[in-house]
Amino acid sequence: MLRVEAVVKSFEDFLAVNEANLSVAQGEIVAVIGPNGAGKTTLFNLITGQLRRDRGKIVFRSEDIGELPPYQICQKGIGRSFQIVNVFPRLTVFENVQVAVLSQQKKSSLLFRPARNLAVVETRSILESVGLLDKSQNIVGSLSHGDQKILEMAIALGNEPELLILDEPTAGMSPEETFATIELIKRLARTRGLTILFCEHDMDIVFSIAQSIMVMHQGRTLIQGKPEEVRNNKEVQAAYLGGSDA
Amino acid sequence: MGFLPTFGPAELLSQLIVGLSRAMILFVVCAGLSFVLGVLRVPNIAHGSLYMIGAFATYSFSKSLTGSAGFWLALLLAPLVVAFISLVAERALFRHLYQREHLMLLLFTFALALILGDLVKIVWGAEYRSVAAPDLLKGSISMLGSSFPRYNLFLIFIGLLVAIALWLFVNKTKMGKISRAAAVDRDMVGLLGINVSWVFAGAFVIGCCLAGLGGALVAPTVSITLGMDHTLIIEAFLIVTIGGLGNMWGALAGSLIFGVTQSLGVLFFPQFAIVFPYAAVVIVLLLRPKGLLKSVW
Amino acid sequence: MFRRIIHAKWPGFTIALFIILLLLPPLVPRFFIYILGLIYVTSLLAMSLNLVVGHGGMFQFHHAVFYGVGAYTIALLLTKTSWPMWVGFIAGPILAALVGLLIGWFCVRLTRLYFGMLQISLGSLIWAIVFRWYKFTGGDDGIHGVPMPGFLSSLNSSYYFILIILAGSLILLYLILKSPFGSTLQAIRDNPQRCEAVGINVRRHQLRAIVVATFFAGIAGVLFVVLERSVFPDLLFWVLSLEIFIMCLLGGWFTFAGPILGAAITVALRIFVGKYTEYWTLILGIILILLIFFLPEGVMGYFEGAFKTRTKKVAERGNP
Repeated sequence: MLRVEAVVKSFEDFLAVNEANLSVAQGEIVAVIGPNGAGKTTLFNLITGQLRRDRGKIVFRSEDIGELPPYQICQKGIGRSFQIVNVFPRLTVFENVQVAVLSQQKKSSLLFRPARNLAVVETRSILESVGLLDKSQNIVGSLSHGDQKILEMAIALGNEPELLILDEPTAGMSPEETFATIELIKRLARTRGLTILFCEHDMDIVFSIAQSIMVMHQGRTLIQGKPEEVRNNKEVQAAYLGGSDA
Repeated sequence: MGFLPTFGPAELLSQLIVGLSRAMILFVVCAGLSFVLGVLRVPNIAHGSLYMIGAFATYSFSKSLTGSAGFWLALLLAPLVVAFISLVAERALFRHLYQREHLMLLLFTFALALILGDLVKIVWGAEYRSVAAPDLLKGSISMLGSSFPRYNLFLIFIGLLVAIALWLFVNKTKMGKISRAAAVDRDMVGLLGINVSWVFAGAFVIGCCLAGLGGALVAPTVSITLGMDHTLIIEAFLIVTIGGLGNMWGALAGSLIFGVTQSLGVLFFPQFAIVFPYAAVVIVLLLRPKGLLKSVW
Repeated sequence: MFRRIIHAKWPGFTIALFIILLLLPPLVPRFFIYILGLIYVTSLLAMSLNLVVGHGGMFQFHHAVFYGVGAYTIALLLTKTSWPMWVGFIAGPILAALVGLLIGWFCVRLTRLYFGMLQISLGSLIWAIVFRWYKFTGGDDGIHGVPMPGFLSSLNSSYYFILIILAGSLILLYLILKSPFGSTLQAIRDNPQRCEAVGINVRRHQLRAIVVATFFAGIAGVLFVVLERSVFPDLLFWVLSLEIFIMCLLGGWFTFAGPILGAAITVALRIFVGKYTEYWTLILGIILILLIFFLPEGVMGYFEGAFKTRTKKVAERGNP
């Protein structure tokens, strides 16, 4: 479904992504792991269009999306949540998700219909599936960090994506929240038929739900394969795992 | 009002010199604006008012001594007066806003411009003032078939002097290098143990001092009136924008474009001469929206 | 519970206010009617600016240009052509919106400060042309004695006309803000990157907002001519643009009606202060500094904030 081939991106002198390769099949849950600074978020930014690659190909469903602006990439079916909470701070939880749903329904530019009455069913259903329905009238600023990260995900769902990219979805969460979020991700993948690409630092999570793992180190792809392959790979152990998990 | 040239190379050269000298005054002022913009990342709307104060102060100082000595004294003191005013404004009020969003800083400079504008009215009244050029610089020099006012040549010379001095300051002195660093990454400079607040104060005062110098230099060439600040600040903004925000060479390039297009425009379309520089600005921005040269940040 | 009471009161309050204002002319001296008219025109101008600044987050630094274009359009059409008068009324806002589209198209490709500086540049060019084209626009003198249709011949009838158009425009602006267009615009203000990531073409949306805002600025320009029967280049000058900015700040630019309050206070103060001193600009500068330091959310923003903390406290007491 998504194929990243030999993508290179550098910032002035710093080579952030150096011949990265990634392959995501439909319906899979794929994880990208690597130490801090390995280039994971940069890679995600390249895929979703926030950055332009210097070289290489990014292909989604047989279409080269490398040159497209972010809003068109989203319209193609790729949704994204961000590592640092990136929501609409002055709007309510409901309005946050509604913006995405309205965009999906191509109703963002309607001038004279009250937004209150539009896209209500779809928005509520998304909020319900992530467990935020009871907080839908709260201003985002008042939510806990964990809830804000879930809201991140909910906003991305508003676009009915086929591929959902999650950048460190459990960063900063307590263990209970983390567990609940992972269960949520698994459930969403199942019920909505989502393909999921995520990156994480917590190895337990990665190895528990990922079907395929890609390891990045200093901008390069070391290997991509099934969890067992990756765990046993000597290069990976040397560079990253260092012999111990987590 | 025809388009066919009714002038010869002598007039062309003469107007060119006029344009260059005007460009030099603009450059002195805009270099200051650009410097403040580069380091503090705020376009200083009060710059025009400070320029105006420089001009009016020159009038007052030049009256205090008889003969030409008055002008030379004014040329020295007026920029210092302006520098002092800007220091007071910065230390008392401006510096408390550095942590706020940039829009607030911009609005503060607008408030300062409003206040200073009326202060000029209070102190000097609403009448036109004028300043005579010093004896040394009165009259013209004849060469190449036309005569060039000495004062214009003086302005060109001063402009080049200021450009060189600024270049030396920014590239060769410690303070200048720190200012450049603060423009690019103020947090880093703070981490190095340098008091960023004083760096900002210094940059602001230097920039404003240049505005005062520009006002002093322009004094013998125009009627000194209220409203000078308004026309100047628009021109300065445009010049700094087409030059590249914060880039001093860009300020030079922009000033040259502005000054010369206006003075040459007088030859072709006297009534609309004022439109030429604005049109030139629009053309430049349409081709290169971020300015001719790279912005400092 | 607090919320429902306030929400029920607002429509009633505004309708009552509207009726009172409508009934004023026979009861109140001419000068007050004129000032109110000026407040209405300025309010509409400030509201139109706030659409893109407060709700859209854009650095619209030279909004006065579109106001001036609207005013000059109707003035020129009504003095220099013998076309039916209603053409002038319609052409004002349309031309303002066209200029807004043109300038906006260039500006939205840039962000923040560049957006603002480019707009100042383009706007100043238009000002310079109007200022110098004596034969066409009257240059520095402007155009005076613009004729008006018969039903607008008196100050009172002009007052009614302006008030009604203002009310209609405010209703439209309210609907626009509450529509998907409006909520998307506010989302863009808060987080343009996120909006791109959810499939919104941010530039196109911002451009549309500019066109809407400049259309209403053009209406304000037309209303100005109805009130004053003249135009001058100051209407396009950058100082006015910044003054409108201040009005939005003063009133509270994240609220709906804040700009109206800001405009009313500013116009009233200017006329009141003008009686005692000619240094209004100095006072305005001092007010602005006080605002920046003590009341950055504006007058209405301050009250709304205080109100929200109170309701939050009440709610918290209810749900421990």
